[in-house]
Amino acid sequence: MEKANNLKFDASTFVKRIKGMLSVDFYRLFHTPLFYIFIAIAAIIPAMIIGTTGMQGSETGALFTNVWQAIAVEKPLYVIENIGQYANMNMVFIFGGIMVSIFIGHDYKSGYVKQLFTTHSKKQDYIISKTLVCAFAMACMCLAYLLATILAGLFVGLSFSVNAGSLICALLGKLFMSLGWASLYVFLNIIFRKRFWISIASSFFFGTGILIIGAAAILGNSAILNIFLYGSSVYACLSSNFVSVLVCLVVSVAWSVIYGFLGTYILNKSDVY
Amino acid sequence: MNVIEIRNLTKNFGEKQALAGLNMTVPVGSIYGFIGENGSGKSTTEKIICGLIHPTSGQVKLFDRDYKDADVRAEVGVLIESPGCFANLTVWNNLMLQATNLSIKNREDEVRKVLTMVRMEGSAGNKYKNCSLGMKQRIGIAMALLGNPKLLVLDEPINGLDADGMRIMREILTGLSKSGTTVLVSSHILGELEKIATHYGIIRGGKMIVEMTAEQLEKSCPTFVAIQTKDNAKTKAVLSKKYSKVLIDEQDESLRVYDAKTPQEVVEYLYQNNIIVNQLKTDKIGLEEYYINLMSNKEVK
Repeated sequence: MEKANNLKFDASTFVKRIKGMLSVDFYRLFHTPLFYIFIAIAAIIPAMIIGTTGMQGSETGALFTNVWQAIAVEKPLYVIENIGQYANMNMVFIFGGIMVSIFIGHDYKSGYVKQLFTTHSKKQDYIISKTLVCAFAMACMCLAYLLATILAGLFVGLSFSVNAGSLICALLGKLFMSLGWASLYVFLNIIFRKRFWISIASSFFFGTGILIIGAAAILGNSAILNIFLYGSSVYACLSSNFVSVLVCLVVSVAWSVIYGFLGTYILNKSDVY
Repeated sequence: MNVIEIRNLTKNFGEKQALAGLNMTVPVGSIYGFIGENGSGKSTTEKIICGLIHPTSGQVKLFDRDYKDADVRAEVGVLIESPGCFANLTVWNNLMLQATNLSIKNREDEVRKVLTMVRMEGSAGNKYKNCSLGMKQRIGIAMALLGNPKLLVLDEPINGLDADGMRIMREILTGLSKSGTTVLVSSHILGELEKIATHYGIIRGGKMIVEMTAEQLEKSCPTFVAIQTKDNAKTKAVLSKKYSKVLIDEQDESLRVYDAKTPQEVVEYLYQNNIIVNQLKTDKIGLEEYYINLMSNKEVK
């Protein structure tokens, strides 16, 4: 009965818990086909768009004259005037939402969450770990999208002229936005955790920024829309500067904190499994 | 000291009340057999203990501390329904992930140890989805054993196990109990449970109706003389003149005399009444019969 009488408990610190959980989530990310499939999807999108519309003599006409238009719009236009303004790196965030839904949905389908929450793991750890890992995955998708855009641009022969500083700021802004988008999708998937298809549909719905586009139709091209995720994603454009990057970073972190708190609250107040 | 202490626990799912003021006490180092019909509230209780669902009201303490305490939770190993494993990963990788999640230092050694304990060391490379039901149950036990927990909560762990698997499970659980681990185990296979449990709790309609030790169960289960004759109906009529408690076993239709002092006494009495006994044995009602009688409100004692 030595163990029974020796009831000392090791302190389960946040660092210890989050380290374990992040290790598991990153392992899963790299050891399942899901991540690589979505990296491939992210790479195929610009290749398809530029490849099919950018070639000389294309029936649909050239959608882009400059390769970087496939990365971001030239000016922050919240109300889209043509489909070309929509077909840029922001699309990664839509597909990223589906990836997050499948990633989290698998936790519930396999019963992994049951294994997780019966141990020392806390709900906040789960939200933080999922958000960080999914943000990383979406940032990787953005980089795959960038690489495929450059290759497709070279193949088709589009112009590469750009203000390098603005381009870097736009790219950094979009990479930072991965965190905000990931937190939104994690939050949606916490709400609909027991309804897999609804969680995918909701991720797609919010990922397309339909609500903000609707608001923009009323408000017009107002900078106030930058406080929303979609607004900030649009704000990271080819005329970006340091302020744009800062806005994207602040908005992304702010929303991830808000969604993180809300998601933790919901998980704490509801039955997990 | 009690490992689990539950007081006035209630849980409502909408309008349905799953637990209606449950009280439960699981002493340290015990193997606590948690018994009840389907829908009686066993799994709900276990899920609350494991932190998967929230109680509507009541108090749950593990090791005298709040059951949500992360430090305490780290010392609880759980198998509820089926293990939470990823189908496309190997048994080894699934266990390694759980070991990582538990922040176990010597993960490989620990995983090797628990696989050996459940006799699964040869199947570590198999994908989880290719494992049989019995193997999956053993993987679940192995997962629950990671980190050397002080409390094990096992929901129907012997479901789907073959005879050898059940024997292995018995050996594991009794071994753990001897080393001081407390085990809460629910099962419908009462014959198996009776072989290992040191304490019992019987739940009905979300309330604990009986809690007792194995010794108390032993005392509550009366011995009887079971006899088979050519005409059991006639024999019963004869025996009833001398003995107050003569019943016919519904299963094998043998006669049971509960208040005979010795078997010889019954044989002699029947011989005097020209009845020849074909079979005779002394027996004792077991946990299963005790439970069935209790559930059907039959007199046990």
